[in-house]
Amino acid sequence: MTAATTRSASPPAPPAGRSLRAVGWHLRHNPKRELWVAWWAMVVFYQFFGVIFFIVTRTQPPPNPALDVASRVQWFHDNHDGLLIGFAIIFIVLGMTAPINALIAYSMRRMSVSPAFGYAYLVMYSLSAIPGMLLLCIVLTVGAYRPDRSPELISWLYDFAFLSFVGTMGVFLIGSLVWMTAILIDTNRVLPKWFGYLNLCNALTEVVVSPAWIFDRGVFAWNGLIAWWINMVVFAIYTGAFIVLLKQMIQREDFGTGPLPDLESRRHSDESTASTEAR
Amino acid sequence: MTQIKDSARHTRVVPGQPDMWAFVLFEALIFTGYFSVYLFNRAQRPDDFLPYQASLDLRIGVLNTVVLLLSSWSIARCVEAARAGDYRKASLKAGLTALFGVVFFVIKASEWVHYTAQGNGVTSNEFFNYYFFLTGIHCLHLLIGFVVLAVVIYQLRSPLRRSQQLIETGATYWHTVDFLWVLIFALLYVVR
Amino acid sequence: MNTIINKRLPIAWLVLTLLTMCYLWIDHAADGDAARQPSALATTAAIIIALVKVRVIFREFMEVRHAPALLCHLTDGWLLLIGAALLGSYLLGAAMR
Repeated sequence: MTAATTRSASPPAPPAGRSLRAVGWHLRHNPKRELWVAWWAMVVFYQFFGVIFFIVTRTQPPPNPALDVASRVQWFHDNHDGLLIGFAIIFIVLGMTAPINALIAYSMRRMSVSPAFGYAYLVMYSLSAIPGMLLLCIVLTVGAYRPDRSPELISWLYDFAFLSFVGTMGVFLIGSLVWMTAILIDTNRVLPKWFGYLNLCNALTEVVVSPAWIFDRGVFAWNGLIAWWINMVVFAIYTGAFIVLLKQMIQREDFGTGPLPDLESRRHSDESTASTEAR
Repeated sequence: MTQIKDSARHTRVVPGQPDMWAFVLFEALIFTGYFSVYLFNRAQRPDDFLPYQASLDLRIGVLNTVVLLLSSWSIARCVEAARAGDYRKASLKAGLTALFGVVFFVIKASEWVHYTAQGNGVTSNEFFNYYFFLTGIHCLHLLIGFVVLAVVIYQLRSPLRRSQQLIETGATYWHTVDFLWVLIFALLYVVR
Repeated sequence: MNTIINKRLPIAWLVLTLLTMCYLWIDHAADGDAARQPSALATTAAIIIALVKVRVIFREFMEVRHAPALLCHLTDGWLLLIGAALLGSYLLGAAMR
């Protein structure tokens, strides 16, 4: 809260409650506003991701790789509108992945570890969105765009889209390991050690996806129980965990370089500084 | 967090970081998921699995299990030695653990080569799909275990770095590699 | 520097090794010289022995015996959960043959 007191001669105290005035005040004066905007962008983006991939376009869970050419054409036909509209929305909101990566990299900058960790993660995850999500969106949009295209071409697009989406786990895997290493050697207690280990779990289940390149049916296929379902459950738990932990990190943030204070002590110091400012 | 162990232990402490225990239990659940899928599929279609399972050599599996059990014993002794302050002995025990790990890996790799040469490769039949998958992912955990042991030995070598909690945490991870193998061995080599 | 040697460790290792050897007997008893048949009995025995071994590893090697009650209960509970999942999957699969 020291940043707020040095910014202007007498910053107004935050209005109580959750009124529009309070939100406006926070956007103008809260030193953590960029962090909160990034966090909310993350939450909103994942809502979009979930609804569009699971419901609108029905590309998650992935359809069967063992479908024959005619059935694949049928799949594109059945999902035609969903694919075009859903991915059009994704192309618009795609920029929201940038604040997510920035926030995670920020967590590493706040740690006592080398800044190289944060930068490495940022570069890796920025690039990984291309094979990891964009390719699927573009390729399936292309497939749905002209339904009267040759069935062989449509079948090829189907394989290309899902193999790139499910199979290109390498970059995500290395990114998880970077974050894990940073957390485990960090002495500023930015994120708990169990979350460091959860990164390892996530990385390992991503390795388990790699059989999807070999098998086109059964539990090791891109829609299989082992290669997709178990991996997706772990990923969902992992994502839920880091959304909550990053929120706590922002709440605990004191813009120092030492260990982050715990949440309870942070709340007490916030209340005492707020009451001294109000006086 | 750490206590010197004596015969009349009054206080109960979690061995190593509780965070590592959370990881261990979570990984156990994930593996249980894989095991359940495997068991369900093989119980449903035994003829796709049984004839190929016959190619496995049970005695090698038993040997592998005994080797890993020895490695668990040596890392437990390492923790014990570190707790008593005998860091040289602890280092040796940790090194011995790594050696047992290498023996396991060499036996496992030679098994893989043997079965593949026999015609039971990764993609040959469903049983060996699961065999290579489960033993492969387990070996990945073993290789990570070598990194963990390296951290433990690094800790033990310098008085400035020693952290009993970290040594116990590393040992907890290594025991996980062992008990996962106990389960995998039973499910791949013995289960009908 | 007095090293307190835990006498339970070598005994635990011996018990685990003997249980491992039991598998050789189960394997032989399951088919003898005949062709392999699915056997719920052999499978159940194998799984239960494995879980007993894991429990010994938890309690003796991983020192859960000296851990707070919560960890003891958690690890025991985990074994029950894993056992139920494994046996359940096998029996369910067998029923849907």
